[in-house]
Amino acid sequence: MFQNRAEALALALPAAVFAAVVFLLPVAILLSEGFHADGAWTLSAYTGFFSEQLNRTVFIRTFKLGLEVTAVSAVIGYAAAFAIVNLPPKGKGRMIGLVTLPLMISPVARTYAWIVILGRTGIVNQAITGLGFSDEPLRLLFTETAVFIGLLQLFLPLMILSLISALENMPKDAIPAARVLGANWFQVFWKVILPLTKEGLVVGGTLVFTGSLTAYITPAVLGGSKVLMLETLLYQQVSVSNNFVSASVIAFMLIVMSFAANILLKRLATARNKR
Amino acid sequence: MSDAYLQLDKLTLAYGDTVAVKDLDLTIEKGELVALLGPSGCGKTTTMRSIAGLLTPASGRINLDGDDITRVSANKRNVGLVFQSYALFPHLTVYENVAFGLRLKGVSGQDLDKRVTAGLKSVGLSSFASRKPAELSGGQQQRVALARSMVMEPKVLLLDEPLSNLDARLRLEMRAELQRVQKETGVTMIFVTHDQVEALALADRIVVMLNGGIEQIGTPEDIYNRPVSAFVADFVGFENVFKLERGKLVTPNGPVDLPAPAPQAAGLAWRPRTVILGSGPFQGTVRGTSYAGNTREYLLDTPLGPIKAEVDAGLAAHAIGTALSFDLPLAAAASLSRFG
Amino acid sequence: MTSRLFPPIVLGLLLTFLIGPFLIIIAASLSAGDTLAFPPQGLSLKWVAKVFTIDSFRESFAMSMFLAVFGTLSALILGIPAAYALSRYKLPFGETVRTIVSLPIIVPGIIVGLALLRYLVVPFGFNITLALFFAHTALVLPYAVRVVSASLNNLRSDIEEAAVLLGSSRTGAFFRVVMPNIRGGILAAFILGFVTSFNQVPVSLFLSGPGVRTLPIDMLGYMETTYDPSIAALSSLLAFLSIGIVFLAERFLGFSRYV
Repeated sequence: MFQNRAEALALALPAAVFAAVVFLLPVAILLSEGFHADGAWTLSAYTGFFSEQLNRTVFIRTFKLGLEVTAVSAVIGYAAAFAIVNLPPKGKGRMIGLVTLPLMISPVARTYAWIVILGRTGIVNQAITGLGFSDEPLRLLFTETAVFIGLLQLFLPLMILSLISALENMPKDAIPAARVLGANWFQVFWKVILPLTKEGLVVGGTLVFTGSLTAYITPAVLGGSKVLMLETLLYQQVSVSNNFVSASVIAFMLIVMSFAANILLKRLATARNKR
Repeated sequence: MSDAYLQLDKLTLAYGDTVAVKDLDLTIEKGELVALLGPSGCGKTTTMRSIAGLLTPASGRINLDGDDITRVSANKRNVGLVFQSYALFPHLTVYENVAFGLRLKGVSGQDLDKRVTAGLKSVGLSSFASRKPAELSGGQQQRVALARSMVMEPKVLLLDEPLSNLDARLRLEMRAELQRVQKETGVTMIFVTHDQVEALALADRIVVMLNGGIEQIGTPEDIYNRPVSAFVADFVGFENVFKLERGKLVTPNGPVDLPAPAPQAAGLAWRPRTVILGSGPFQGTVRGTSYAGNTREYLLDTPLGPIKAEVDAGLAAHAIGTALSFDLPLAAAASLSRFG
Repeated sequence: MTSRLFPPIVLGLLLTFLIGPFLIIIAASLSAGDTLAFPPQGLSLKWVAKVFTIDSFRESFAMSMFLAVFGTLSALILGIPAAYALSRYKLPFGETVRTIVSLPIIVPGIIVGLALLRYLVVPFGFNITLALFFAHTALVLPYAVRVVSASLNNLRSDIEEAAVLLGSSRTGAFFRVVMPNIRGGILAAFILGFVTSFNQVPVSLFLSGPGVRTLPIDMLGYMETTYDPSIAALSSLLAFLSIGIVFLAERFLGFSRYV
């Protein structure tokens, strides 16, 4: 009954055509702008982009922060996921719910909280000046650290959930077996937990890394124009400098990174399903 | 051209580029209970689905009750199908499941209620009318599926492996149920199965299929006692099957003469029961033996290859390693007109 | 080494980090004072009340609601048939279609917004609201297809065949037999799409203008000039809205089963 290909195409085509016209086409044209100059295909836009100090800084900073957030979220993530997995069922469910909760809240709200905490009259500065560590309030906002903290809070739940899933799929006796053979906790982690939860780590890591690279709100609110990241740079290039070529270059890089991450995730998913 | 009730004429069925059934000819009389029997992949389910209209033939014709229904869509054929998974609508009650087709036909009110209640009663599920399928056992679900099809008074009722999912006791019950329904309503019934025991027990006629074609059509007795090919013989339990070449048995050790002139056939087959142990022109050694309550089975190593024999358990047992003479009496052999 | 204290400490710190900020915002929004501060100077609901009086918030809230509801609806209208085709038929270009439809998840929203602005709105004078509507539909489409596909894959196709053999047309079978059984999945897709669209910022960044602004964008703009607890109050309200929707969805639908 499901042999008729014409039927199937008719059903699927509207969605595909819509996506292609509204989405694919404009984006493709935008990207092509980055490879065109004076009617010829050229990489001059790219060389031009990277010849500017600011752009290089932003590019490196975005990557650096991405890696830092990923690394730190992995460490915290393992600790948290391990603790959660060993909870009794009720507590575990509640914890998972609490970890997932932030994901439901608008990124604007989540980022905004840090203004209250890190601002000149925010909690941290109140504590620092109140306790006498410094006479002047520290400038914590609009620093790389602020963006780092904001991104970490934004994406940590993703890493934790991913690792929880990986830990639960680990053979239950692997850790006791290693302990009985004399391994200390550090060795247990390196030789047993890490290899067995590798996939979960990569999934979580990819989500966190890509998220950090393509974040807008957090860098905008917590970094402003002092700490530009790729997306906030893109916005600035368009709205302030009308530099669409530059925007196209940035867009291309963002898409390539996002795509690469996605393909990696897909490969992992199919590899896992084959087992 | 006979005026058979259901006629498949040079039917070729394919899924994309894969041909599942090739040039099939089959006629079925009104009121018959026919089994399509064969191993998986033989094309029996594909044939059944094409009769239902779920698969359009690549070529050939299907005639039902005088009409060419080859291009008629599945919802207009008035053919019933009881799926192997029963395919009950999970969101509807048993009553609504059975009423589904009737409502589509425009039956409503008292008439609808009368027919649905009668349908449920005929399968013994009157008290389950307001339950949902998930609350029923497998056997009960099947009976709902049966009632759902039967209230439509179909011209042909198709059943996909109706007994395969049931345990031994339910299987006997369902077998009796199907026979009863068929007798009471006289509906033409075709069921698909891979189990020869089911086919032999239920069917008026069996169609043995292999690789998209028909191997043999016959009554259960025909199929059981007079298989026409090595495949059918093997399928219905002939363990000792031999090719015949120029009147000699073809064995791994070369051609072997038979004590009496062999019939004109492509092959010969013996059931284990008909092998005579203790006397005869052939020699063999007992390699294995198993006790089966009523009978004892022997596996013999012989120059003809492995021979399986079955004797009464009451007789004295032969130990492993015993040398025995045995006979393959021609009178008990099934002549195979095809060996392939 | 695993002292009994390790897990509670880790989890305690974790929750403080993840949820603490949110609690701080709620507290800050209840401040009786005039500036954004924590701890709040006195308690009052005045900022919460103020939020409802700000016109631009009301307008942008309406815009966000409009986009979320109708964008998701149109994504479903496009997505349900596509999901059906993908799960029931062996489409020759099935994988391609699935990829095209999933692209909006992979491509950062800001790029989509920019592209639409540059090639649709500016050259053709295309209505910005409409462009925004298309963008949000495209954004939600992958989620719609994915979630509905999952539901369809869990539903045996032979009940459709059974319905057809009992006399139903193909479309009739879809509405009588398939829809009732994927209702949960469709609802889950709607909720997921709604929340995604409502909280979306980057896509709407470039597709804004006078009178055309989504709530998050409006909030960002407000934050740049005014430093009072209104945004805190609004953030809290929105957070409760999101959480409330998902909570109800989980309670009455078992939402987590579908995503």
